[in-house]
Amino acid sequence: MQIQSTRFGLLEVDEDQIISFPHGLPGFQGKRDFVFLPYQNESPFAYLQAVDEPNLTFVIVEPFTFFQDYSFTLEDSVLTELGLSDENPPKIFNIVRIPEIIKEMTANLLAPIIINWQTRIAMQFILEKSPYTVRHSLFPQDSPGQEEKGGK
Amino acid sequence: MLALTRKIGEKIIISDNICITIVDVKGDNIRIGIEAPRDIKIYRGELYESIVAENKQSAKPVDLAQLDLLKDIKTK
Repeated sequence: MQIQSTRFGLLEVDEDQIISFPHGLPGFQGKRDFVFLPYQNESPFAYLQAVDEPNLTFVIVEPFTFFQDYSFTLEDSVLTELGLSDENPPKIFNIVRIPEIIKEMTANLLAPIIINWQTRIAMQFILEKSPYTVRHSLFPQDSPGQEEKGGK
Repeated sequence: MLALTRKIGEKIIISDNICITIVDVKGDNIRIGIEAPRDIKIYRGELYESIVAENKQSAKPVDLAQLDLLKDIKTK
């Protein structure tokens, strides 16, 4: 199928490249289907391009490259809803915010994206009572290797 | 917006399967009990709104050519 994207032009994609969010994402409830586009081979970064909104693209990152200690508990109801198990663990990504000064990009660790990679069903899961915030610096300038706490 | 006045212990039923109970009121704090099917997502408003705001900021267009910084980063 073909998908129009403001950033990437006309994309020819396979059905299995599409990730579905049955609940949408907070702020974008109507947008359920996104194409998963890896940034580069072996890169932790990827894009999510909305199937029916050319101008809606998220940059996402596999968190563990930058935040080795990142962890949270998924509720049973989420595991059941997404069809996850020990044999089929989720793929985790976090949405990246890229400000004008690129180096100050941050990842939203408070609301990870959980994907069942077999069925391509996903959700953005909001952590309750979490030490994480919506802005953790990927390239902290003051203290290399340490994640920087951003605004909530 | 529908506004209802309730007393402690009284309930509000929404759509047959959601039940909200006023548990306690202490000064400015109101404790609310919610019974709902597990697939109904329940969030504190300010937490949910912070995610909405961050998603909207993250969806702002970025010039892909500027992302050279990310080029040589490999998955660990």
